[in-house]
Amino acid sequence: MAPAELLIAILLVPLAAMMVAFVAQLFGGKAGPLIAEGAHVVSIVIVATIALVLAGRVIDGGNFFALGSWLYLDPLASILVALIGVVGLLTGIYSLGYIRHDLAANLISPRQLCRYYGFFNLFLFTMLWTVTANDIVMMWVGIEATTLGSAFLVGLYGQRASLEAAWKYVVICTVGVAFALYGTMLVYAEASAVLPDPHDASLWTSLVSHAASLNPGVMRLAFVFVLIGFGTKAGLFPMHAWLPDAHSEAPSPVSALLSGVLVNCALFVLLRYSAITTAATGPEFSRNLFLVFGGLSVAAASLLIFVQKDLKRLFAYSTTENMGLIVLGLGIGGPLGVAAAILQMINHSLAKTLLFCGSGNVLMKFGTRDLRSIRGMAAAAPLSGALLIAGALALCGVPPFNIFVSEFMLVTAGFRAGYGWLMVICLLLLTVTLAALLRFIGGSLLGARPANVARGEVSGFAIAPMVALLVVMLLFGVALPRPVGRLIENAARVVLQSDVTAAAHAPRPGMDQQRPDQQMSPRSSGAAEFAAVTRRAN
Amino acid sequence: MIGTLGGLQLVNGLASLLIITSLMVVEAKGTGRSALYYALQSFILVLIFLALAVAANAPQLFYWAGVAFVTKVVLVPLIMYRTLGRVSDPALEPRRFGIAWTIILAGVVVAGCFAVVSSIHLPSPPELKPALAVSLAHFFLGLACIVMQRNLLKQVFGYCLMENGSHLTLAIMANRAPEVVEIGIVTDAIFAVVIMAVIGTMIHSRLQTLDVRQLTSLRG
Repeated sequence: MAPAELLIAILLVPLAAMMVAFVAQLFGGKAGPLIAEGAHVVSIVIVATIALVLAGRVIDGGNFFALGSWLYLDPLASILVALIGVVGLLTGIYSLGYIRHDLAANLISPRQLCRYYGFFNLFLFTMLWTVTANDIVMMWVGIEATTLGSAFLVGLYGQRASLEAAWKYVVICTVGVAFALYGTMLVYAEASAVLPDPHDASLWTSLVSHAASLNPGVMRLAFVFVLIGFGTKAGLFPMHAWLPDAHSEAPSPVSALLSGVLVNCALFVLLRYSAITTAATGPEFSRNLFLVFGGLSVAAASLLIFVQKDLKRLFAYSTTENMGLIVLGLGIGGPLGVAAAILQMINHSLAKTLLFCGSGNVLMKFGTRDLRSIRGMAAAAPLSGALLIAGALALCGVPPFNIFVSEFMLVTAGFRAGYGWLMVICLLLLTVTLAALLRFIGGSLLGARPANVARGEVSGFAIAPMVALLVVMLLFGVALPRPVGRLIENAARVVLQSDVTAAAHAPRPGMDQQRPDQQMSPRSSGAAEFAAVTRRAN
Repeated sequence: MIGTLGGLQLVNGLASLLIITSLMVVEAKGTGRSALYYALQSFILVLIFLALAVAANAPQLFYWAGVAFVTKVVLVPLIMYRTLGRVSDPALEPRRFGIAWTIILAGVVVAGCFAVVSSIHLPSPPELKPALAVSLAHFFLGLACIVMQRNLLKQVFGYCLMENGSHLTLAIMANRAPEVVEIGIVTDAIFAVVIMAVIGTMIHSRLQTLDVRQLTSLRG
């Protein structure tokens, strides 16, 4: 299949699965859940396969359009598509065991099970739509739709706390994203007066190629609106209030999706706007804002992590901290800073998916998220316990896990760019997180098993995805595969717009072109710097 | 036929009515009345789109007016009335002291938005700056409603007001956007209102209250 057809197929498959799952509600007995699960499995396998094939095509040297110019896949988008595909597949498989457990425990009904898989696939569709959209208004529509698609997943259990979390999630994110609509409108209005063809004024590829002609004052104002709006969805401090509630109350595989990919989708849109703003106003404006929001997020989240008594809230605040680190990397800028931010985005996604799945295993074993009541997980379920310990150590930034590499790169980029004092503060704050996570390992994962908790693993569906994630995390930590490295380098180039002319020659609607000229030259200084630092970290 | 300048003045005049209807939506007793006032406000928005279509020679706004009439004058108020009309919390009805403060707040917000819009360069026709300021003020009034109201359902209406404000801004600044863009934004807005209404009703049936101060089980 041609890449354009694959791009369309990756959107249609989860939509079809969603419809089948919703229709399956109407079937009584065991048929409904079986049909919904079947459609779900087919969907997540196909989506992951297409996502990886598309990423491979982009690595081989191509940017692709589909549906005229409405859909667009470049190195940056392909990273997000691959992440959604892989994390969607693993959390989708994990869901099979977890949701069946909830059904057996009468926490949900068979109808709710069908609805779960319907909304799960709708959520996948909305995220894929966001990251493949070339139209900035459609990116906004996609981000807004992610909230609407996942709100019922957050409130699935219908309990007081989960309804409260769903309400806060919908209200805060919808209001926040409304700010981003103003930013989007400002950009569109400015561009429609400047671009030779006003119909292209909402296309990112056109905007970025004509960004130098846009009014810098309007673009600065638009970027502030966009940062507040999409920053809310990305969980940046101080707009993060929805995140710990939604992450903690959602079913664990949904928490993994929220933390592992949803917040990255919002960051992705910010990166798209950052590229336009950088080309229109110079790099300082967006970088300074990124440094402020990134620094505040790391500082606030590190301190809040330390006082958490709820397992999933602990991981949720860690998400805000990691979003802060990624944004700090963007603020540091340069090929190394941006590449470090993108690598951190990937690494955090993998680690947090593992940990939220692990939190689900803890819940199935202990029936609580209260860290004061969880003792001896490794003794009760040795494999789950070991995987959780590895995930927590990875989140601490300990070698040989993947997050060590990206954090090392980020700190190196900071020192090289003259932000030594900021990096020292950051390292001190990361030490606080390290202490909190070590306390979690010592207090909840190690130690003797309580007498009322039986020894034994949870289902294989709940273990296999975590093992797969750990293998990838170790691989990325020990030797980052060269194609992945190349993809990250090229994605950094998209963000930095160091070759704006490439986008200026973007194909016209209906064309499906390959653009090997947009690849970062292996001899370019950014690529050499990236390769040298990852080698040293590995 | 409305002259261009007269048409733009009509747009500005109608836009000011949005602020008055906003206050009616926020301060109305009962969800049913709020839904009715919201329908009235949306009808004024439709009239603005029609006036703007003629005055700014933007025929696509006729289409926008049609979409807004079906969705915002009929569909959303009907959904709100049917879903939330029977749900109420007498302890949360607005008090007179609150109404006075709402009017003062609205005045401050409108003045602030006029000051901002008139002092910066924006990619919009200069004659429509009053309407643009009103649309921005409308957005922030909706935001204030969400932040300050204790009633969950009033928060839903606050979002509706925000959305009407941004829809007017969109019509002033980006009325040449493809129709599918407008459809996407309006569809999202409708789904947002429906989902908020459904979750609000679920909270009411489980907690027997609409008071956001009761939503305190998640902290820290």
